[in-house]
Amino acid sequence: MAATEQTGSRSSTERTGPGRLLYDATVRAIFLQALTAALVVGLFAWLIYNTMVNLQERNLSAGFGFLDVSAGFGISFTLIPYEEGDTYLRVFFVGIANTLLVAAVSIALATIIGLFVGLARLSDNWIVAKLSRAYIELLRNTPLLLQIIAWFFGVFNLLPRPRDSVVMAEAFVLNNRGFYMPAPVPELGFGYVMAAFVVALLGAIALYRWEDARRDRTGKSFPAISTGLAMIVLVPLVVHLALGRPLSWDPPVLQGFNFVGGVSVPPAFCALIVALSAYTSAFIAEIVRSGIQSVSKGQLEAAGALNLPPTWTLRRVILPQALRVIIPPLISQYLNITKNSSLAIAIGFPDLVSVWMNTSLNQSGRAIPIVAMTMAFYCLVSLTVSLVMNSYNRRVQIKER
Amino acid sequence: MALVFESKPDRPPPRDETGLAVWVRRNLFRDVPNALMTLLGFYIAYVVVAAVLDWAIFNAVWEADTRRECLDAVGRSGACWPGVVEWLPNLVYGLYPKDAVWRINLGFLALVLWLIPLWMPRVKSKVAVGLTAVTLYPFLASYFFLGGDKGIVWSALISLGLSGLVWVWATTISERVTGQSIAELLGKTLAGGDNDVLQRRAVRGAGLVLFLAAYGLVSTWSLAEVRTQFWGGLFLTLVISGIGITFSLPAGILLALGRRSNLPVIAVLSTLFIELFRSVPLITILFMFNTMLPLFMPEGMEVNQLARAIVAVCLFAAAYMAEVIRGGLQAIPKGQYEAAASLGLGYWQTTTQVVLPQALKIMIPTIVGNFIGLFKDTTLVSIIGLFDLMNMARAVGEDTDWLGLFIEPFFVVSLTYFVFCFAMSSYSIRLEEKLSAGRER
Repeated sequence: MAATEQTGSRSSTERTGPGRLLYDATVRAIFLQALTAALVVGLFAWLIYNTMVNLQERNLSAGFGFLDVSAGFGISFTLIPYEEGDTYLRVFFVGIANTLLVAAVSIALATIIGLFVGLARLSDNWIVAKLSRAYIELLRNTPLLLQIIAWFFGVFNLLPRPRDSVVMAEAFVLNNRGFYMPAPVPELGFGYVMAAFVVALLGAIALYRWEDARRDRTGKSFPAISTGLAMIVLVPLVVHLALGRPLSWDPPVLQGFNFVGGVSVPPAFCALIVALSAYTSAFIAEIVRSGIQSVSKGQLEAAGALNLPPTWTLRRVILPQALRVIIPPLISQYLNITKNSSLAIAIGFPDLVSVWMNTSLNQSGRAIPIVAMTMAFYCLVSLTVSLVMNSYNRRVQIKER
Repeated sequence: MALVFESKPDRPPPRDETGLAVWVRRNLFRDVPNALMTLLGFYIAYVVVAAVLDWAIFNAVWEADTRRECLDAVGRSGACWPGVVEWLPNLVYGLYPKDAVWRINLGFLALVLWLIPLWMPRVKSKVAVGLTAVTLYPFLASYFFLGGDKGIVWSALISLGLSGLVWVWATTISERVTGQSIAELLGKTLAGGDNDVLQRRAVRGAGLVLFLAAYGLVSTWSLAEVRTQFWGGLFLTLVISGIGITFSLPAGILLALGRRSNLPVIAVLSTLFIELFRSVPLITILFMFNTMLPLFMPEGMEVNQLARAIVAVCLFAAAYMAEVIRGGLQAIPKGQYEAAASLGLGYWQTTTQVVLPQALKIMIPTIVGNFIGLFKDTTLVSIIGLFDLMNMARAVGEDTDWLGLFIEPFFVVSLTYFVFCFAMSSYSIRLEEKLSAGRER
């Protein structure tokens, strides 16, 4: 860029006369930008004009007034309460909640599977490494939509009827109506258990911090992580037992032709979760592998020369350096999961795109506000994530001297 | 007492460091947990491979007229291939008229012919060949695929495409045989000696003759129109992803340069475009173009559905490609810009001759990764009702003879996608190794 100005201004000193302006870098820059701006503004003006004419023609309005109107259609699965008479605005939030639910569950599963497969890919064991390679290549190289549809029509739709359900441990039920599991029912006093959990969690964090500082100061070590984990598990458990188990479970029970009670999710949800997390786990596995491989061998040798125990080498040498490489692409995979959850529409799971951009749009005909709101949601999500990521990147960047 | 030297017994020889047994011990049975994992791994591999082979080959039905017959013969334990075989033409060509399928084959044959010289040694004009493949081939192909009435302009463009193909092979043969491009060869033989001006005129004349001959040929021959509603299957998938790939690279380069430009208006507009299209899912863009493009266009102007999908895919792909290219541009050290500036190169010279060649080379794996992603993403056009390869596979199960036949066509289609994507990624790895050979220490 600097080059333009230099050559530009040099030329302008050489040339004289009216043609001189043509070679002046500043003039050129202003002219080029004005032209671009004019073209873009013109394009938008033309599009908006056409849209206004078309909307008038079809007696549609572009306003947001329809949001208070009752939507009048049912939604097969809702995370937040919803009834047929609720407004369009409610439908929008139902869609967002469902999208976020799918994203959250898939992110958790994909991370666990991906971490596991990525480590297996680096295994010394030949067959384990080859199997995980096959898993990664097979899933990465076929379209996600195809996988979602295959899981839905090829697996979850072919499950037995409720009467012949697959029942696991008397509590988890799988059939062609969906997946059922016991619902937790909090009773009086469960708040204390939750409070105990929060206190234990804070205590564990404080313990870890204290141990870190003390080790830096004195060199003495103390198993803070295992103690902390034990605290987080045991303290709420003890409170739970002491208060006479204030949490009971409501298992699904077969009644007539279907299961009632418990928490249930439709087959489309299961298919979506399985496909999304399997597909993304292949990408995460590659990210994990490349992150770990990015730690140079010298670092391991240095750790060995210091006689660090293997767990320390992993926690204090490999992980901090590998995570720097792993986290940014990992976050962008999480963003991809959120965006890819929109493929739910192909199997009829009511996510944001399906209930809002499809059903609501077709019913109300308000294309412009609906499309704008959908896009705004996805933009908001990715903007938030990229803000978080930028601040993380700034924090972990190697500080070179 | 004499001190007698007594040698200690020999140390045992080192264990074998090579050989199959050592490899097996080291990589499969190092210790007990490792051995257990090995056994489990082989067991899983065996179960999966055996199940797939049993289903796809040993238990499969190869001859039947309906799915009922298959089910009666083997139930669900074996694949029912006759349905897929019967539908194979549709899976490949969609509903394209059977007697016009040769046009698709010819169109793709032309592409293959156009690209072969790129892999041939001793061909010097590879860049020109590649550029003509991107700029001229589409005219030829789109007429083969679409057909219909052609006016003067349309005929001229098709003739350009045809003469491009002739030029590609003429120059390839001439370069391989004589080491000179066809233009040099023609110039020397027609104008003789070393008169540059005359030679250039002769080459231009020859080009014009070629174009006129092609035009004569094109105007005598016409193809019936095939509406895009009949396009489908692998053909449609390749058309959409092909256009997306060809468009996304140049558009992505421009957007990336725009985003890094120090002209604020251009930088802001490019950034807005890139961030908007990257932060929303492709399906929302497809929906938007599907429902809103008719609203955006002047009254009475129809945009056909395939065109809407292609526009959406192209813009989406361009935004993603822009970020990849920007990554490459950022990796170029400042010294390169300064060196170019000290040579007196202007912005476009610096960009096209110093920065871009390096940036594109670094990003080859990511660019190909993007192409693969785009190829897979074309399946989304099935949601707005186009019959691409995947949607065609679903249609098999709706045929009354093959009602419910789902797994078999999906198996075949998945395999097709896998072969395409895997081939692309393997090729990009090889290309990367070849190009970075000079950098390895």
